[in-house]
Amino acid sequence: MHSTQTNINDNLSKNGAIETVVVVGGGIAGWLTAGRVAARHKSHTTEGINVVLVESPTIPAVGVGEGTWPTMRSTLIALGISETDFIRECDASFKQGAKFAKWVDGTDNDFYYHPLVLPQGFAKGDIAAYWLAKDQKSCGNSFSNDVCFQEAICEKGLAPKTIRTPEFDAIVNYAYHLDSVKFAIFLQKHCTEKLGITHILDNVEKINTAGNGDIASVSTKNNGDICGELFIDCTGFSSLLLGKHYQVPFKSCKDILFIDTALAIQVPYEDEESPIASHTISTGQEAGWIWDIGLQHRRGVGYVYSSKYSSEQQAREILAQYVGTKFDNAKVRKIPINSGHREKFWQKNCVAVGLSAGFLEPLEASALVLVELSAQMIAEQLPTTRRSMDIVAKRFNDTFLYRWDKIIDFLKLHYILSKRVDNRFWSDNRDPKSIPQSLKDLMELWQYRSPADHDFTSNNEVFPAASYQYILYGMGFKTDYSHAFHLLDDWQYAEQQFAQNEKMTQTMTSTLPSNRELLNKIKQYGFSRL
Amino acid sequence: MANLVAVDNKNHKHIKINNTLAETHGKNLHLIPAIVAEFTNLAVQYPILLTKNGDTGQFVCAAMLGFESGENLFWQNEQWQGIYLPLQIQRQPFFISTTPVKNTTQETENTEHLVCIDLDSPTISTSDGEFLFTEKGAETDYFSQVKYRLSQIMQGEIDNQQLIDQLQEMALLQPVALEITFINQQKTRLNGLYTIDKDKMATLSPEQVSKLHQLGLLLPIYTMIASLGQIYSLIDKKNMQLKS
Repeated sequence: MHSTQTNINDNLSKNGAIETVVVVGGGIAGWLTAGRVAARHKSHTTEGINVVLVESPTIPAVGVGEGTWPTMRSTLIALGISETDFIRECDASFKQGAKFAKWVDGTDNDFYYHPLVLPQGFAKGDIAAYWLAKDQKSCGNSFSNDVCFQEAICEKGLAPKTIRTPEFDAIVNYAYHLDSVKFAIFLQKHCTEKLGITHILDNVEKINTAGNGDIASVSTKNNGDICGELFIDCTGFSSLLLGKHYQVPFKSCKDILFIDTALAIQVPYEDEESPIASHTISTGQEAGWIWDIGLQHRRGVGYVYSSKYSSEQQAREILAQYVGTKFDNAKVRKIPINSGHREKFWQKNCVAVGLSAGFLEPLEASALVLVELSAQMIAEQLPTTRRSMDIVAKRFNDTFLYRWDKIIDFLKLHYILSKRVDNRFWSDNRDPKSIPQSLKDLMELWQYRSPADHDFTSNNEVFPAASYQYILYGMGFKTDYSHAFHLLDDWQYAEQQFAQNEKMTQTMTSTLPSNRELLNKIKQYGFSRL
Repeated sequence: MANLVAVDNKNHKHIKINNTLAETHGKNLHLIPAIVAEFTNLAVQYPILLTKNGDTGQFVCAAMLGFESGENLFWQNEQWQGIYLPLQIQRQPFFISTTPVKNTTQETENTEHLVCIDLDSPTISTSDGEFLFTEKGAETDYFSQVKYRLSQIMQGEIDNQQLIDQLQEMALLQPVALEITFINQQKTRLNGLYTIDKDKMATLSPEQVSKLHQLGLLLPIYTMIASLGQIYSLIDKKNMQLKS
């Protein structure tokens, strides 16, 4: 066993070598981060770095985030987890993007997709401009359907692969929907049994500071002082280390993203054969939107709204109306959403991951992906000594401030393109005063050309240009190419892509099994590793 | 589809089985399930590979006879032109059905194995072939042989599973990556086929090799590896067919 008690003086004498990483908090953020660090730095061996996770036995995990990005597949691989085990134990199902209903004008036919597959031929040549030119003539075709076959797969409730496809391989790009409580338990088991993480169930009562302002240790009720060279704050909304101890200010973005409350409920399926949607369904409502996520054994449904534009009673009624007869007022969980993030995430020898760093409405499932990206960067760039930590900390802060800003812009984009007028919530969202300048600039450029890779040149981009295209053209935005028709000089290529997409749609929808059918087979047989 | 019924000495007393016609059951198969016990026989002519069951995604061993669905290159002039006929074809038109049976006295569940016959099989005759039962209703020597063959296949399923489990546990499988250009320039890529990774075999620890040896799996493993070369004689057969 590793010693979890290291003397701070010993560390100094060794030039501040990073030997022990202490993670405070044991939700998904805590276990995922501890797991990535432990897996990369061989915590199960004597030469490896010690990873200690202290978790309060009394504070329940918040359990947000049931939607993931395809990055989750590489995260699970990095942790050495089997996809079959994960799907079986976390009630997980496949997610192939999001369907946005009633976001443009609120009518019944109003929907578009943000799929996970890039537009046909996107890597070789962007066909958005050609689609726009065609659309001017024909009008009314859906962008996501014309350039991507994944919408048809989702509309038919099909899975992204077959039982013969190896673990983590995709026929069609996919992510997961998961039960976050079960996922945290699953991660804990894997991390403690396979990755050599020391798990301490205890309450942190005091934070002890070293002379240089670093955290030297955290005092626990029954396990004494737990020392370490890096402390990872995964304490959720309480932000015990970064927020409470270091007093790093919180930067609210309420003025951009108005949503401040979530009402969440679990909804059982009609019966064992009910279809399981393989995409997140997001339906616009008078003062926000409702998420609908299909797991194997239940749906997770929730209304996120702005309390400025809707009373809780009104919100409950809207949720009840959406859910129908299975609505049970007593089981509705109310979760406050304080949109925003800390002004920095890494201070001294403490870095925050998860809700302790910040939170945004779950419109594009950004919570878990930010945890994954943070965990990855900490694991990959973990400094060897305390001396080099400040350099990594600065990089981390720059990277994640950029990412939060980009996510905020991207979420706001969904609102500014809406034409809904049924509530001030929607019209106020279009008020230029509420739109960040960075997004205004992009919108100005996109008046006359479609989003392109050169709009997103950082190594730290979270959404590719294709995602912006899916939202813009899904919501009926018109980029005006009338002054630039000379740029549309390869119609043959474009028509080939449209035809190829039609062909792929045919092939895929006739060969893929239904989402439920595949999930049942995984329960029975499992995937092979190759 | 096969029309299967349980064999009994009343309804099937007068039928005969013309075993030479059993091979017609394989004329349109490009992959035929194979069991470990017949690997050395198969390897004389056919590549032995693994593929995945379409319904379950589980690995199965199979002899390869053609390059696309429906193509058996060993089926020529209405005859099987091969030295060894895979057991899964030899056994035609007989099958085993397994049904759980409640044991009322002990409250336990047993499985009952019934020999079934495919009544649509062209092997069934009233003139040529062998009887299943004697005049008195006892089993003929022929029918005993049939049952022995079926029991071999049942045992084969257990042996195969052991082989496949070990191959997966020791991560010895790899997909076959082969693009073939036939004599008429037609190209095909082998899809969904797996074989044993020779390089991985070479890196096994003494304990792992010893385990494979004790389980009697070294022979089938090396037989599979050696049989891979038969892909080239299959290509040859295909090219001959394209030329003629």
